[in-house]
Amino acid sequence: MKNPNQKLAVAVDDLTVAYNYKPVLWDIDLAIPEGVLMAIVGPNGAGKSTLIKAILGILDPIAGSVQIYGKPYDKQRKLVAYVPQKGSVDWDFPTTAVDVVTMGTYGSLGWIKRPGRKEKKAALEALEKVGMLAFKDRQISQLSGGQQQRVFLARALVQDASIYFMDEPFQGVDATTEIAIINILKELRKKGKTVIVVHHDLQTVPEYFDWVTFLNVKKIATGPVKDIFNDDNLTKTYGINYKVSVQK
Amino acid sequence: MSSAQIEIQLIASLVAIACAIPGTFLVLRKMALISDAISHSILPGLVLGFFITQDLSSPWLIVMAALSGVVTVILVEYIQKTNLVKEDTAIGLVFPTMFSIGVILIAKNANDVHLDIDVVLLGELAFTPFDRMMVGDVDLGPKSLWVIGIILSSTIGLLIAFFKELKISTFDKGLATTLGFSPAIIHYGLMSVASVTTVGAFDAVGAILVVALMIAPAATAYLLTTDLKKMLGLAMIFGVFSAIVGYWLAHYLDASISGSMTTILGLLFLLVYLIAPGKGLIAVLYRNKQQRIEVSLLTFLLHLNNHSEIEERHINHLNEHINWRKVRAKFVVDLALKNNMVTIDEDIISLTEKGRIFTEKAINYIISNDPTEIEAIKEDFFLFRG
Repeated sequence: MKNPNQKLAVAVDDLTVAYNYKPVLWDIDLAIPEGVLMAIVGPNGAGKSTLIKAILGILDPIAGSVQIYGKPYDKQRKLVAYVPQKGSVDWDFPTTAVDVVTMGTYGSLGWIKRPGRKEKKAALEALEKVGMLAFKDRQISQLSGGQQQRVFLARALVQDASIYFMDEPFQGVDATTEIAIINILKELRKKGKTVIVVHHDLQTVPEYFDWVTFLNVKKIATGPVKDIFNDDNLTKTYGINYKVSVQK
Repeated sequence: MSSAQIEIQLIASLVAIACAIPGTFLVLRKMALISDAISHSILPGLVLGFFITQDLSSPWLIVMAALSGVVTVILVEYIQKTNLVKEDTAIGLVFPTMFSIGVILIAKNANDVHLDIDVVLLGELAFTPFDRMMVGDVDLGPKSLWVIGIILSSTIGLLIAFFKELKISTFDKGLATTLGFSPAIIHYGLMSVASVTTVGAFDAVGAILVVALMIAPAATAYLLTTDLKKMLGLAMIFGVFSAIVGYWLAHYLDASISGSMTTILGLLFLLVYLIAPGKGLIAVLYRNKQQRIEVSLLTFLLHLNNHSEIEERHINHLNEHINWRKVRAKFVVDLALKNNMVTIDEDIISLTEKGRIFTEKAINYIISNDPTEIEAIKEDFFLFRG
């Protein structure tokens, strides 16, 4: 690490995850410094989503540990927001955009307590930030793919977390939405938040992110984009002779 | 109406409401079939409860039956997790086995008690007023009414307390997990409620029809609303409606009450499926037709907008230029005229100011996807309603 004084937002130690005894993530060590905007890249089946899900306790690892600011995840839930893949929920569910965003406040409410005026207001503000206020009462199936993704982003924003995990937020969105989303992510970083994004489009890595992790079942490399985003690591990760010229 | 008739309708209505609540969440979780599995597999629990207590009215019967419902869910999930078979197969494996264990237990040991297969399958609402709740000499009403009343009150209490948790874990299990709401606890809580409700409804409507009461009202409500609370409310209303109408249908036909209730539920679903605004069959067909016309109209207006040459705008050549059948061309021109979007002067069609503005807005919207462009014309056109 270049700056040893920089705090670690997320520390992953020897993490191994298996489906039916077949490891899909093998012995991952990962130290994510506070305040980076990090891409996780790797081929299909590399375990990118699995890594996020294991960090967040959605999947149980068979070995290893995860620390969020030095403590286990279940002690630090309120510091973390998660944007799952758009396809992971049923968009025909009978609910509206503002209601979905309000779900982001449920974590701070805890069990039984119901969202009130304060939570509603926070949800509307988050919708406004992602440019979706006009659609607040729209049933969620009546939104376009890009709009649905913005609603998911607003739901994470409303959590006002320190660390944001996003699983392919750019999947199936139009160019306008992609730019809107990345601008919000960059703003989060400016405020000192840590943002971790599963990302597919290698071309945009240098432009969008300042930190990158190469993953293919094992960790290939992790560090600043300008130091490690090169053909060598890409080839190691994707297994073919990859040439993405990094524009500096 | 005799007091027995009122009591029967009251019991049927409470059963319907109690079923609609877990039913709504089962439908949204795409777990409708699980209710079928639970309703059949509580039988061995009931019988075992009877063997232990030797008392058909012991609350332990309900506890045992609910337990065997939950065991069924666990078994189904366990088999499914092996990845050897899919969920529907796992359900199909578990519940007939559980049910037949119950059948054998009854046949071997309980021949002399009131636990016969017909009643288990279809229930007998008509008999429920005969089994009274007595304290000393005081008659407190039918026992079934008390049982389902208590179950319904606790279900409503749980629903109000955990509505938010149920909603989030049904919509987005991953987020629920990360926020610290264990979806597993909520899942088994819901399954327990579904099992207890099934046991409570068993007496009245039997194992087969309780499934209809859970699923049909919720599925019907789903077609009509985009709000979870309204869906719950509508499901309850539909349930009560079919309970009461079904009762009177059975009365006039001299047929099974539970059978008539289910028939009403089925007819109600069919009716709503046809006429529901938005999702209903007729609405969908109408919308498709309107959208087709609107696309034609827009194509036509665009053509006029793009061509100032007289020959491109002559009314007799429209078919060649836009490649339409004659009938449709006339239809679309009439529509455009009616909306004052075009004028026809000596067989030459021209865009009016209104038509020009409309066309521009529509093109801008299609290109930019910016909803403010079409605010003013949204209500008139299906195309622009998202």
